[in-house]
Amino acid sequence: MSSPPFARQAFIQGAIAILPLSLAVAPWGLLAGSMAIEADLTPWEGQGLSAIVFAGAAQLVAIGMIKGGANLFSILLTTLLLTSQHLLYGLSMRPVLSGLPTRWRLGLGFLLTDEFFALTSQYDQQQFNRWYALGVGLTFYIAWNLFTLAGIILGQNIPHLDQLGLDFSIVATFVALIAPLVRNLPTVVCVAVSLFSSVLFSFWHWETGLVAAGLLGMSAGFICQKFSGARA
Amino acid sequence: MIFALIIGMGLLVFLNRYAFLEPRLPLRLSSNARQFLGFAVPGMLTAICGPIIFLPGHQLDLSLANPYLLGSVVAVVLVLLTRSTLISMLVSMAFFFVFRWWLNGNP
Repeated sequence: MSSPPFARQAFIQGAIAILPLSLAVAPWGLLAGSMAIEADLTPWEGQGLSAIVFAGAAQLVAIGMIKGGANLFSILLTTLLLTSQHLLYGLSMRPVLSGLPTRWRLGLGFLLTDEFFALTSQYDQQQFNRWYALGVGLTFYIAWNLFTLAGIILGQNIPHLDQLGLDFSIVATFVALIAPLVRNLPTVVCVAVSLFSSVLFSFWHWETGLVAAGLLGMSAGFICQKFSGARA
Repeated sequence: MIFALIIGMGLLVFLNRYAFLEPRLPLRLSSNARQFLGFAVPGMLTAICGPIIFLPGHQLDLSLANPYLLGSVVAVVLVLLTRSTLISMLVSMAFFFVFRWWLNGNP
């Protein structure tokens, strides 16, 4: 199964399959790099976020929270909550990945992003190829880090990048990620409660309000789903 | 200090990714936990966007002449029409800059 020529071929196939998504992530990567510089992080810290954390939304939010002076605990709690969808990806890929040797589990586990999941979750135990998955994950990791580096260089050489309204690109991106999810009443309730409470808490200058608002929205959506499920 | 935070974040993200890949873990998420976590993306991302849109520069702005609000509306319409995150993001940013220049009179 993993004799060298086949392994290399599968790896290259995986790398080619993820190429469009690797390019589409360029604005995100540029943003992650330049935002880190804007928030007065050093280039090494900015690159370290992409190299060690490797989770776009969590990185951008953490940078925003560092800039806003949030405490360590609320940043870590937000990171945990914001990336909790990965628990579901892990659960879904458990039949395929949990039987692999430890180094493969750890390696592919580290590379398990939304994009990785989108490309590799369709295969069952017979079809799944670990080298293909490695090609997908590693290519995306390298692209993400290269675009971050480009963002760091741009952020250092172009002054007042923070005056350009780059913070709107977070809004533009998140809105584009949220809007397609709003397909049923519980999600509408979740988004509405989260939006209202986040603005209210922010208006009150409540430091950990962001996490609380998110949890309130999630709870409201969950409760609404329970009620509508009970009726159906 | 920042690097301690980065390593902490890295560990938490890896924990989320790896937890259910561990064969020795007998646990499964309950159906309720899974449903609750299903709201994590819209709930958390909305909570992050809200203050940026409605409190630009930490000042409450609920008017329709708020470029962040107008840009967000454009982003919602575009992503629902085109189904492309990338197109919606780039075009709504362009609209945002036009709105900002037009409403504030400075670039």
